[in-house]
Order: sequence, then structure tokens, then C-alpha cells
Amino acid sequence: MRLPYFDYYEPATLEEALALMAEYRGALRILGGGTELLSLMKFGLRKPSQIISLGNLSNLRGISSEDGALRIGTMTTLAELSASDEMRRTFNAVHEAVESVAAPPIRNVATIGGNLCQNSRCLFYNQSEVWREERPPCFKAGGDVCLAVPGGKKCFSVYQGDLAPALMGFGTRIKVEKKGSSRAIPLEDIFTGEAEHPMALSNDELITEVLLPVPEGKVGSAYRKMRMRSAVDYPLISVAAVLSLNGRGTIGKARLVLGAAGPAPSVVHEAGAMLLGKDPRDIEPDAVGQAVAKAAQMVNNLEIPASYRRRMIPVFAGRAIEAAIRRAQEKEKT
Amino acid sequence: MTRKMKRFITLRLNGEEREVAVLPNRTLLEVLREDLRLTGTKEACDDGSCGTCTVLVEGTPMRSCLLLAIQVQGKEILTIEGLAEGEKLHPIQKAFIDHGAIQCGFCTPGMILTAKALLEETREPSDYEIKRAISGNFCRCTGYNKIVEAIAAAATQMKGGR
Repeated sequence: MRLPYFDYYEPATLEEALALMAEYRGALRILGGGTELLSLMKFGLRKPSQIISLGNLSNLRGISSEDGALRIGTMTTLAELSASDEMRRTFNAVHEAVESVAAPPIRNVATIGGNLCQNSRCLFYNQSEVWREERPPCFKAGGDVCLAVPGGKKCFSVYQGDLAPALMGFGTRIKVEKKGSSRAIPLEDIFTGEAEHPMALSNDELITEVLLPVPEGKVGSAYRKMRMRSAVDYPLISVAAVLSLNGRGTIGKARLVLGAAGPAPSVVHEAGAMLLGKDPRDIEPDAVGQAVAKAAQMVNNLEIPASYRRRMIPVFAGRAIEAAIRRAQEKEKT
Repeated sequence: MTRKMKRFITLRLNGEEREVAVLPNRTLLEVLREDLRLTGTKEACDDGSCGTCTVLVEGTPMRSCLLLAIQVQGKEILTIEGLAEGEKLHPIQKAFIDHGAIQCGFCTPGMILTAKALLEETREPSDYEIKRAISGNFCRCTGYNKIVEAIAAAATQMKGGR
């Protein structure tokens, strides 16, 4: 599978990169590590005429601590996140999510910014050009049918990123820059909730930093992901649980995030609220898990049936909640 | 109509400086196999899933099918051809032969280079650490056990001697 020709730019400064993005809006793609972009291009699913590599922008790479938050540069690799003690100690859910992405050689290259911006996926879209030529183009490919749901009126592709659900559990914000302006927004806001165009960022906007607030108190978190092979593979559903225990050992704050069950990860507030004020021994993980499952929007478009994925949500939610509570209690002891 | 522009890049390849002219859309894998005739690096899925195309970039295992050649300008690259010293095999290569860790051989270059990166970092890896390190490399023949045994044996040997 050959890559089509493109012009290649390696700007030396962020300003230069943003200026190029403003100039070539629409026709260009950003190259972080390339593990997503080059793969999509090999399948003919992305055809940029310009590629801008951020490889020279070393100030976009690295993790620093500032004002009660971790500041993670967009070009920080997943292997670097995985090696960070702060990640391992404080942000178990994020650390587990990072370690669960693909395989170690991919994590040596793949970046946090690229992972967040990955495209939604579907068994009927992520196929070779030859395969797709035999069928009418689907909504995501610019056509007007859904190949997964006959008669479907919209695209049902699934956002299968691992990092976003775990980061959203901690109330992560991201810094988005474009030529002449910069803003910080909640991570949730980069998603449209529409599978056809899952990302809300425009073509001249770049995620430059991920701002992960350091939680206060006895916080425990976990990320649990279902997939076919534990060595590689995207999540087929995933759940992040982030919660804190107050002085009496009951649950003070709780956030549950469902991933790979729709066009964007979703924070399921109703399910999180069911945990509040509870003694961990009184929690019914299955009931909470059923509430998490209500946020799912799933059809048969991944490797296993939607009905099975849906039934597994309470199982994985229960495991995430249990692990998060155990970790919070361990913090209590120390 | 844009003119296709080749660029000169320098690679520190298996200890030698090599200069090649490449189009931006060529992957490192293509340049290694087709331009530099180093066909020890294998192409299988060409999509990042299988690990046969693994090379070491500055000592770190990476998929050469998902790297543009121009992305590794100036970097140190080690392919399987750079591992033996003349006729003398590297201990990991020898261990793979001695333990029957090679059957069809297609995954072997990627496996051995991944193992090398692991052993540079961890002198006495546990079985779990070995399995985790090669978790991105598919082998369809051996069932992995013999590969894990070979890497563990190489670790023991490398600790003693070189």
C-alpha cells in the first residue's frame, strides 16, 4: 500500500506551523507520530495534499507541573506518558489507558495529541479502497447511505480512542491554538457528537497542550477496556472511573466515562451521581453499570455484535469502579 | 500541477552514513527494502498491526511501515543486517536458532530487534516483561513460547559475557 504524494513541511516554530495551517486550510493534515494518519492514508481514507510534521517543535513535547495541573505537550509520546511516575502515581486511569493503546512500538511513536484527534471507526469504513469501490460511498465517505445499518439515516462510526475517556474522568482541559488566537476548553468540547465529523476543531486549529488537573484528596481511578486481543486492538467498549473518598470513607466525588460506545466518549453524570455519599460496601456495581450503559449508542459495526458490547458495559464499569475504590482506600491508609 | 520534490536525507544506518534521495511519501520500510536493498526488514500487514517491519530508531523499536523516511533524517537506524559482526552472530540471533524460535522466519527480524531493545534496557527481564515487549510482534508459527525462551536465554548469556 503506497502513500499518495504530498508536499511535506517541517516548521521550526509553532508560529510557522499555525501560519501554514491558516494558509492550507482543508487540504492539509498534521503529522504527530503518524501512526493514525499514515495508516488512514494507506487505506485511501485521507488524501492530504500537504502534510505538516510537528517533529521539530520540541517545546510541544514533555510533561511539566504547573499551578496544580500537569501540562502535557501535544507531541509527548505515549511511551513518555507511560514512563512518567506522576502518571503512574496520581492518574491510574490515564496510565492504564495509555498502556492499553496498541503495542509498545506504536506507543514509542504515537502522540497524545494524535491519539485524542483520531477519527471514528467502522467495519464498513476502515477497509481498503478495493473493498469500498464495490459499494456505494457511506455517509462518512461523503455519500448518503449507511453500510452498517441498512436504511440508516446517519453515520454510526465509533470513536475508539482510549485516552479521551480516561482524561475526561479528571476534568482535563486542552489548549487549542490557531494563528493569532489561543483558547483553553474542556476536553469534551473537541467532540461534535456526530459520527460523520467527530471532531469539533476546525482545520486551522491545533491542540498544543493537555492540561490535566491534579485532584485533591483521596482519589482513586481505573480504566477498563474490552477488546479482542489484549496485546493490540482498539476498545470495543471502555469505562473510566475516577472517584474520591471523604473523611468518613464514603464516596465524595465520582465521574464515570463511557468510551467506544458512540461518536464521542461520554461522561455519564446520572451513573456517577448514584455513587455519591455511598459507603463502598453498599454500592451495587451492576445497577450503576446499567446506568452507564444507557449512554451507549451502538449498532453492529465493530468486530463483535452491539448486543454483546452493551451487555459488557456493566461488567467493565463494575471492574473500573471496584479498582478505583480499592485505590482510593489504599491512599487513605498511607 | 505540483512538481514532485525529492529530498536528500542522511541516515546513520547500521553504523554507516548513508545518503538517499527520497520523495516525502516514501516510508522508511520502502526506502530500506527498495532503495538500500536491505530486505531483512520484512513487509507484511503494512499497516502497523504485525511488527514484522520493526527497526530500531535511536535504539527504540518502531514500525518502519508507519514512519516516513524523511521523519528519520539524521537518526541512527539499526536493521537486522547490522546486528551480526561479520560471521559472528549476535547472542540473540544464536539463541533464536538454538531454541527453535524460528520457523518460517518472517517475524524473526522484528522479534530479534525488539528483544535487543528490551535487553539493552532490562538485563534480567521476567517472562512477563519479555511477553509485554514482543506483544506488538505477531508470530503465526511458534506459539511464542520458544521465542520467550530464546530471549530469556540470550539475556542470561549476555549478562555473563559481553
